[in-house]
Amino acid sequence: MNELWDYRHLTLKLAMSEFKLRYKNSVLGFFWSLLEPLMMLIVLYVVFTNLMRVNVEHYQLFLLMGIVSWNLMARGTGMSLNSILGKPSLVQKVYFPREVLVISSCITALLMSLLEFIVFAAFMIFFKVMPSITIIYFPIVLAVEFFMILGISFGLAALNVYFRDVQYIWAVVLQAGFFAAPIIYPISIIPENYVWVIMLNPMTRIIDMLRGSVIYSTVPASGDMIFIIVSALLLLIVGYAIFTKLEPGFAEEM
Amino acid sequence: MNMGKVDAIVVKDLWKTFKLPHEKRNTLFESITGIFDGKQGYEEFEALKDINFTVNKGEAIGIIGENGCGKSTLLKVIANIYRPTKGSVKINGKITPFLELGVGFQPDLTAKENIYIYGAIMGLSDREIDARLEEILDFSGLKRFEDTKLKNFSSGMQVRLAFATAIQTNPEILLMDEVLAVGDMEFQQKCMDVFQRYIKEKKTIVFVSHDLNSVRRFCSKALLLRHGEQVAFGNTNEIIDKYVYGVDVDNGTEDIESEPETCEFNNQNDDNKDKTRWGNKKVEITDVQFIDKFGKDRTMFNSSDTMTIRIKYNVNEAVKDIQIGIAVYSDNDIMCYGTNTYIRGFVVDNAPGSNEINLNIHNLTMMEGKFYLTVAAHCKEHEPYDWRDKQFSFNVVKNGNDVGFFDIPCDWKQ
Repeated sequence: MNELWDYRHLTLKLAMSEFKLRYKNSVLGFFWSLLEPLMMLIVLYVVFTNLMRVNVEHYQLFLLMGIVSWNLMARGTGMSLNSILGKPSLVQKVYFPREVLVISSCITALLMSLLEFIVFAAFMIFFKVMPSITIIYFPIVLAVEFFMILGISFGLAALNVYFRDVQYIWAVVLQAGFFAAPIIYPISIIPENYVWVIMLNPMTRIIDMLRGSVIYSTVPASGDMIFIIVSALLLLIVGYAIFTKLEPGFAEEM
Repeated sequence: MNMGKVDAIVVKDLWKTFKLPHEKRNTLFESITGIFDGKQGYEEFEALKDINFTVNKGEAIGIIGENGCGKSTLLKVIANIYRPTKGSVKINGKITPFLELGVGFQPDLTAKENIYIYGAIMGLSDREIDARLEEILDFSGLKRFEDTKLKNFSSGMQVRLAFATAIQTNPEILLMDEVLAVGDMEFQQKCMDVFQRYIKEKKTIVFVSHDLNSVRRFCSKALLLRHGEQVAFGNTNEIIDKYVYGVDVDNGTEDIESEPETCEFNNQNDDNKDKTRWGNKKVEITDVQFIDKFGKDRTMFNSSDTMTIRIKYNVNEAVKDIQIGIAVYSDNDIMCYGTNTYIRGFVVDNAPGSNEINLNIHNLTMMEGKFYLTVAAHCKEHEPYDWRDKQFSFNVVKNGNDVGFFDIPCDWKQ
């Protein structure tokens, strides 16, 4: 851990350069990256308000917050998956703690999501929804989500070096997760008996709390808060354990 | 293990084993189906076997050996990129590996941005790079292109940029793997100057190279590896002798099988005998050996060493005289030298049966390269008994810093 702290400069540098690269190559680079969630928002909005008749207050914002916070998870783990495997020269020709690569990928994903949250803020202003003091919970919950992503990323990035199909399996898991978490629908449409199942997914509570704190001015329930912190810690411990177990063989296995 | 204050690197009982699966399983699916297949086999490849050596602070050591002997693996273990299978490597100081230049370069970012990223990878802070940016751009000669994307650079420019940045680090222990072998003459000279500076500044350096001359020039000690085993560690000149001549200087025993190069040569030429061998075979040249200063039959020699060409011949029919001659050709077919017994007024024994004659060369004046040897037996009137045209060859390894084709013995005076 101490060693990692010494490499914070490199971690940020790698994260920033990756971030820059994403937007560097086209004039519209920055807008393209925002266009994707916006297109998704429009499609889902049209489908769910007109065809499925979902009845949720501020459904546009509800949906956008869901998409953006899920995107952070999908993008963070997706980019980290290849953070080791995709940089053979860095792994095989120089030494620094390999954690740096995973952490910097997660930070890049976080930076990209922060841009999307800014767009979300613009939407809030457009629809004249003002957040209350409960917004202070937003960064806390977001931080918990970030550490949860980091934990998953450590495990996946390490496993992907040894088993190259982990990335495909994970893509399917993410796809399923998008529908299993209440992103496009509210928890209230789930039959009473099954709510506990969907609540086992920490992302359910994270998305719910993010929405609550920003859109609906609700204070997160302490039970939910404890649940997500404990899940994030567990994932971090398990993910990091897998990572440290597999890390010595990275350079040889690639 | 205790490390003295002067020790920079202590390698102790180091083993490195790679697992080479018969069938590489790269996916989870293959791993699961593999269990049912029952084909669990993999081979173990021992890349390093029981390596032991210590590098003192401020010392430069060279690691030499043939391709695949474990040089680069050893360097990677020291750099902490590979982990030892057994044994330990203790490092005392900050390591800067130059295993490859320009690691982590992003083609889509500008030269300047890449300097910062590469600098960060090599352990420099932004502030340190700010202070040295001008120097880096000057040294690499790329000031004009600082805002050009790296992908528009030639590979030579990229290497220059990388090197200029890399040398700004203030290494305590430097690991180098053949990086000096890239670039043009001017760039190589710059590299050599920097290298020389590091040596003057008493940096600890571990240097892997095939260029024995650089090793001799820079390193006070050398480590010789063969098939992953440590053959010898010690004084550079002695170790290079061991490598070039393949003998153990201490007890004079040969510990590498001599290459059957001359034999191969013969076989090859059976097909086109008429081209490279002719004569009436009244006298037959049966074998030619190159004998080094240790009395061993070799094909690899240091420049400026002694060499004896031993020519074995068989007198099949009584002849009135035998003259034996040689000619040395460079690999681009320039005749470098020729002499024979007639010119030198030496009388060759023409008694029937097998015999041998030695040509003692006091000083191999050619600098480096592969040389071909023609050996011929003929009579005074030039009627060839047996002419073997360029059927033998030997290699010369550079020994010194002079350049050129052959050595001219000389010294400066004022």
